[in-house]
Amino acid sequence: MELKPPPANRREAWGRRVLALAVATSIGFVALLGQLWYLQVLEGGRMHELSERNRIRIRPVAAPRGILFDRNGLALVDNRPAFTLSLIPREMEDRNSVVARLSVLLKIPVGELLEALERVPGDSIRPVRVRRGLSLEDVTKVEERKLELPGVIVEVEPQRVYPTRTFAAHLLGYVREVSDEQMKQGRYRRGDMIGQSGLERLLDEHLRGRDGGERIEVDAMGRPVQIMRREEPDPGAQVITTVDRRIQEAAERAMAGRAGSVVVMDPRNGDVLAMTSSPAFPLDRLTGNLDRDEWLRLVRDPMTPLMNRALQGQYPPASVFKIIVAAAGLQEGSLTPMDRIFCNGEFSLGHWTFKDWKPGGHGHLDMRGAIAQSCDIFFYQAGLKVGGDAMARYAQAFGLGAPTGIDLGGERFGLVPFSPSQRSRAKRPWQAGDTVNMSIGQGQLLVTPLQIARMMAAVANGGILWKPRLVQRVERADGTLAYGSSSKMTERVELSPVVWAFLRHSLTSVVKEGTGVLARVPGVDIAGKTGTAQTIAKSDASKGQDHAWFASFAPADDPQYVVVVLVERGGKGGQVAAPIARQIYEAIFLQKVAQVTLGESG
Amino acid sequence: MLRLDRRLLQNVDWPLLGAAFFIIGLSLVCLWSLNPGRGISTLMWRQLSWVGVGLVGLLVVVSVDYRNLVRAAPILYVVGLGLLLSVFVLGRTVSGARRWIHLGPLTVQPSELFKLIFIITLAWAFTSGRGERLSRGALIGTFLLLGVPFLLVVRQPDLGTALVLVPVLGATLVGIGVRARVLGALVLASVATMPLGWLVLKPYQRDRLLVYLDPFRDPLGTAYNVIQAKIAIGSGQLLGKGVGGATQSRLAFLPERHTDFIFAVFAEMWGFLGCLVLIVAYVLLVLRGFEIAAGTRETRGRILALGVTSVFAVQILINIGMVTGLLPIVGIPLPLMSYGGSSMVVSLTALGLLLSIRMRQFH
Repeated sequence: MELKPPPANRREAWGRRVLALAVATSIGFVALLGQLWYLQVLEGGRMHELSERNRIRIRPVAAPRGILFDRNGLALVDNRPAFTLSLIPREMEDRNSVVARLSVLLKIPVGELLEALERVPGDSIRPVRVRRGLSLEDVTKVEERKLELPGVIVEVEPQRVYPTRTFAAHLLGYVREVSDEQMKQGRYRRGDMIGQSGLERLLDEHLRGRDGGERIEVDAMGRPVQIMRREEPDPGAQVITTVDRRIQEAAERAMAGRAGSVVVMDPRNGDVLAMTSSPAFPLDRLTGNLDRDEWLRLVRDPMTPLMNRALQGQYPPASVFKIIVAAAGLQEGSLTPMDRIFCNGEFSLGHWTFKDWKPGGHGHLDMRGAIAQSCDIFFYQAGLKVGGDAMARYAQAFGLGAPTGIDLGGERFGLVPFSPSQRSRAKRPWQAGDTVNMSIGQGQLLVTPLQIARMMAAVANGGILWKPRLVQRVERADGTLAYGSSSKMTERVELSPVVWAFLRHSLTSVVKEGTGVLARVPGVDIAGKTGTAQTIAKSDASKGQDHAWFASFAPADDPQYVVVVLVERGGKGGQVAAPIARQIYEAIFLQKVAQVTLGESG
Repeated sequence: MLRLDRRLLQNVDWPLLGAAFFIIGLSLVCLWSLNPGRGISTLMWRQLSWVGVGLVGLLVVVSVDYRNLVRAAPILYVVGLGLLLSVFVLGRTVSGARRWIHLGPLTVQPSELFKLIFIITLAWAFTSGRGERLSRGALIGTFLLLGVPFLLVVRQPDLGTALVLVPVLGATLVGIGVRARVLGALVLASVATMPLGWLVLKPYQRDRLLVYLDPFRDPLGTAYNVIQAKIAIGSGQLLGKGVGGATQSRLAFLPERHTDFIFAVFAEMWGFLGCLVLIVAYVLLVLRGFEIAAGTRETRGRILALGVTSVFAVQILINIGMVTGLLPIVGIPLPLMSYGGSSMVVSLTALGLLLSIRMRQFH
């Protein structure tokens, strides 16, 4: 070890060594500049994007769903703010620990949280909605521990609120998060709430509106610093339906505890004023967090609460069909109002004996009396005179066996055994006995309550078959019209005015003095027809009861309301269905009276 | 009493001072934009007051003949050792390390101060031999002398400072012309002790090293700092985002943004061009230092100048290297840029030492 001795040499050598160190240092600096060039110039764009992703959070602002109103401006459904728990995958620094903490805090299974997260990319900045309808208590819990739960937010979303759990359930339909199946259509974003049935589904495009959003600048802790841009949501359009909430409520009240359907229609324009189907499903449960078991219970319920009986339930029309037989016979000339028979309660055809519903029969009857008393014996003979073909033709003319064209999906067609192919389904030739059965609305005939309502409306208004209308118009939030519909006549039944007058007269007798007296409302002339559809008694004895029909309109001389009641396995139409119709008429007319008197006194 | 004669003043190295104050100016701008405001409590004002203290240190050192400092090395050494030991007694633990002692309202980082004492001791040890030779025994003695405080620094732990001292020692050894064979042996020895060093490291320090080798090992844990710093720097692109647009810095995505990672803040705000300017200023400063070292005839001055310059060069290279992801993360401030009293005062005092040597170059 030595320091080089000669001063001159030493100085030179020292200078060289320092120069070497300076060069080495300079190389270091060049390397730094190279790295900076790489990061800032070559990778700069990508890094800039990463920095933007760091600081910007997108929070969706849900659009309030459009409100459905009845014809008088009363809301059928409304919105209220509801809290939704959402996770933002990108902001969850330690996913497992956050999920674990959240799971303990809100008692949500870890699996449910992880499953929700798995459906989106791990670096998504869009919130994944995990649970809707959070209680205020849970919201407080989450907000209090905000800093321990990075990536967990509570969103405020408008949620449907219903007057009662089941009010107009089938008509309105339920709203639910978009399913995996629906996601495939590509029209929705994950977590969207969309209408899944009824009007909510039909008008979903209009009702949904467009979600807005906020771009928020946040700091490293995820705390919002400022709102950079806010896009207001477009609220959904408002729908003015044809429904009259008070009639709908009255109909549901009248049907409480029974299975079946009520359809109330305005015969002057085809507006559906009320439409019930019972038992109904709980709207609020289907909208919220429905668990699998509850869903299965609804689907497997033997009473099929999810089915809209008004347009999906198919029943034999029973004696209500006698209106068609009478109309066909009178128009074709095979029957006259003056036809009289003596009814002893039995009718023989070949080796078959057909019985009247009333043991012992009705005695002497003309046609009006036969309709009023719903005499089967009269119509057995009448049916044979008119013939199966003519009955089927008139049934079709009155819209049976064909869809009514109502906008709700899933409508069933019913069945009129008209064409040979339909008849051959029975796998045996058409026989006179089939004609006899058909003349009292039994046999293969099947109708929906809505078809009967449309048919009764045609009887009331002189032959016009309306396309049942549920939606008057759809108004955007700014007041412009998004959709408007006027009444549409689909068919017209051409009968002689005398025939129409006779039918109306006879149907009035049904309520005045016939099988429908229990429908009578003081001060109002009601025309109607009862029906009692025999059902094949299945093993379950309690189910062996008949379906009760009451199809009617009022006032008889100036028809404004068609009321059709069907009670499944309720018993006799006149005893079960007619009183229900009476309650509905009372609600309609007594309320009107009350309104008029109030108006006058005020 | 300052005795500055005309001749000394004529030899003031203005480019060196200019570069240093240019960098300090950039530091103040950076700190202001991180923590704007008028109050005295803002980072910029506090830093400015440290600059004032540092200037006093600089003037004191300039006015004193550095040879007297080297003569006082044993005393300084003992004082320095005492300060380092005091950390273990008086020190307050901040994030797992005891590096600071509290003197009233001030916190002092003795390991910073020790860098200077280290260099002065080095100059003293290498020149105290009467002859022109540096004996093997003297070399070993020097290592022992420096080994004790070095271990103390490592134990604090202040790995950063310890890591600065090793290359500074190496540069000094190269400077004084230790044979290549001996240097090679020393390098081999230090490589051989590395596995031993691994055992000494704290878990977080091991993590840092592993993360350096594979940054995506743990992107949200230890590597978070590296990734965020890289994003900050890269997102500055060519021209920078400006003071207002520097979101990485402003929104606190950057850790230690006003101290060890201040370069990332600067890079985000001013882009590649700004970095170029800053690095040119540093290069100027360091090359002036080497030039002073090369141009000094007196041996103690040479070693001191080389030591001081190496301290600057090593700290700058390691700090920027670590912030840009070239080197593992160790706690080393960027001289003249990072916020921190100890670092600023020591840097300015070291600068004073360089100036002092330069002014007395031709004695």
